[in-house]
Amino acid sequence: MKTRLLTGLLSLLMPAMVLAGEYDLTVDRVEIDTGDFVKEGIGYNGKSPGPVMRFKEGENVRINVTNNLDEMTSIHWHGLILPFDQDGVPGISFPGIKPGETFTYEFPIQQAGTYWFHSHSGFQEPDGAYGSIVIEPEGREPFRYDREYVVQLTDKHPHSGDRIMRNLKMMPDYYNREQQTVGEFFSDVSENGLMNTVRDRMAWGGMRMMKADVEDLQGFTGLINGKGPDQNWTGLFEPGERIRLRFINSSAMTYFDIRIPGLDMTVVQADGNNVQPVNVDEFRIGVAETYDVIVRPKDEQAYTIFAESMGRSGYARATLAPEEGMEAAVPQLREPARLTMADMSGMHGMDHGSMAGMDHGNMEMGSSEDMAGMDHSSMEGKDHSNMSSMDHSNMKGMDHSGMAGMDHGSMAMGKESPSDPFYAKGSGLVPTAANGGKFLSYADLKAQNPLYEDREPTREIELRLTGNMERYTWSINGVKYEDADPIRLKYGERVRFKFVNETMMTHPMHLHGMWSILDVGAGQWNPIKHTVSVQPGTTVYMETEVDEPGQWAFHCHLSYHAAAGMFRKVIVEGGPESKQAKTDVIAEEGGEA
Amino acid sequence: MNASKVFLVAASMSMSAAAIAAGAHGGGHGAGSGEPGKASEAARTITVEMYDNYYEPEEVSVETGETVRFVVKNEGSLVHEFNIGTPSMHEGHQKEMMMMVEHGVIQGGKLNHDMMSMDMGNGKTMKHDDPNSVLLEPGQSKEVVWKFTEKGDIEFACNVPGHYQAGMYGDVNFE
Repeated sequence: MKTRLLTGLLSLLMPAMVLAGEYDLTVDRVEIDTGDFVKEGIGYNGKSPGPVMRFKEGENVRINVTNNLDEMTSIHWHGLILPFDQDGVPGISFPGIKPGETFTYEFPIQQAGTYWFHSHSGFQEPDGAYGSIVIEPEGREPFRYDREYVVQLTDKHPHSGDRIMRNLKMMPDYYNREQQTVGEFFSDVSENGLMNTVRDRMAWGGMRMMKADVEDLQGFTGLINGKGPDQNWTGLFEPGERIRLRFINSSAMTYFDIRIPGLDMTVVQADGNNVQPVNVDEFRIGVAETYDVIVRPKDEQAYTIFAESMGRSGYARATLAPEEGMEAAVPQLREPARLTMADMSGMHGMDHGSMAGMDHGNMEMGSSEDMAGMDHSSMEGKDHSNMSSMDHSNMKGMDHSGMAGMDHGSMAMGKESPSDPFYAKGSGLVPTAANGGKFLSYADLKAQNPLYEDREPTREIELRLTGNMERYTWSINGVKYEDADPIRLKYGERVRFKFVNETMMTHPMHLHGMWSILDVGAGQWNPIKHTVSVQPGTTVYMETEVDEPGQWAFHCHLSYHAAAGMFRKVIVEGGPESKQAKTDVIAEEGGEA
Repeated sequence: MNASKVFLVAASMSMSAAAIAAGAHGGGHGAGSGEPGKASEAARTITVEMYDNYYEPEEVSVETGETVRFVVKNEGSLVHEFNIGTPSMHEGHQKEMMMMVEHGVIQGGKLNHDMMSMDMGNGKTMKHDDPNSVLLEPGQSKEVVWKFTEKGDIEFACNVPGHYQAGMYGDVNFE
């Protein structure tokens, strides 16, 4: 009743959506001005980013997408649970949308929260074809706020996606400006001794990777809601108000570390799903992830939303202010993180013998804090048995789920040592908050209201994330997409996926169509996500209730990794007759994904 | 959401054992939020239901000098607190509550009672027994009898980490 009234009201307020649930999108060539450069790109309804699509849980939407390009296109509704033939992946869910054609998507909205949409064709998404989705829940939310803003990030590069891919294929370090120099070699020698330095360099060379490859695409301008740092997107507030910020990382390749100096942030949602609120000073948002936070600025002043890229090669910046035109100080970029040998521990074909012989001091090229992080042999988050064997008298009698619920950072470990169970021990990548405060970890994410009953998985599937940086090939279990058989799942089963990252890069793994229940060790409170980041040298588990028939994409969401082959088709066998599809027909066409 | 469940005002009644116990501690935090009430002086009962993560109702009206018996029920699936205080008192208490989470006292939907009574090494425990508040597991119900001695900026709030910030508080309005 109430729901219908509201929907009615909404459609009155928004003339573009006269018929409740009917929406139009055009896919257009657009101009993108970052403040640093102007380029041609692709957008929706004449702009990049496209509009905020506002849906209501329980409504049926019809979305007419008109392709004004001279090439095929598609729209994928990232994170939405829908029939597979509406999922928008050419070659898997449908053939794609031809130039000049209008395709009508039609599906029920069965969830609430912050999501986004983007093209799944070629490199249209890095070229600008993305927008946001905000779904109002049917009932009340488990939190309160006075106003809300979408804060959608991207890493806009002056080169087109096609050109970037060509360059990476030709020279994988084409966009890597942070490579170590001869000068650094000598400073390492003076600090670590010649033999250790040479050995370290040789180890890296043997892995066909450059040591600074935290990011393989640099030279971008960070945008927030389409605005570069100088264009300074600004969200207004009245002091004392609670503001909900819906952060969405629509980058092609870039992870961002986000903070708002002067404001605490309370994380209330991850990937569209409510989580038990966590107060943080800073958080890292992986490519394709979303985080909703609530902030409460009490003072009549401006605050900077500062999003530094994980490799510190660039940033996005925006402002929250009581009035347009006000601004606050913009922090300096911090020193780039450097991968350590720990981040490489999962790498295939490494000579472990010579590693063991190495001076440990030399394993860490970062600060001494990283060293301290190495001592925490029992912090391995994925191995729970280690945790319960910790000698901590106060831990007696605690059950397992509770332990995982604790802030690992403060568990009898030295206060300053950064450690996070979702990073390799001794990793150079473990993020720390700029103000020394709390940095969000996956281990902090607990479902607010679990969607699924916790149950034993029916089987485990191991997916090794593999690649060869020197040839810019990325794959799963050593096989790239075009050479791989699909992953076959059975409707009704609960599959445990084991990701083993054998590369030196972080991979945001995105399973379409079904939720990824991330194992943070919290049992029934494990959060559900659509994108799961797997750090170098780590193993991460997620479980999926196979509850949607059809066929789906499953891939690394770094655009150029997906295109290089870190991608799989998932086929769900069985399920309700009516929902099973003519999947064979679709599979024949397209091939682009 | 059940908007009709605003106040459940019961007729005044002679106090329960729990109310006496709650009132017996005395002390309180002073400074502007009132003081522990005597159950015998409570002229009315207000039922406050706690959900994940909000209260129903989200505001109550009292008269200056009035003693109110709050019946607090945790209808959610997480541990919640009902705490009467000023915003700055809540802020201070949130640090203590953070410690309780870090030490595993509050574990999502459960309280570790052994842990709560454990000596923290300085003779202090994490019992959470101040008379202005109750900390409840899902399904539990307890009472707080409170005298609003003077007008002030008073909220009832849940200081389980993150809950207050997410909006789990209610206003005490003075008529």
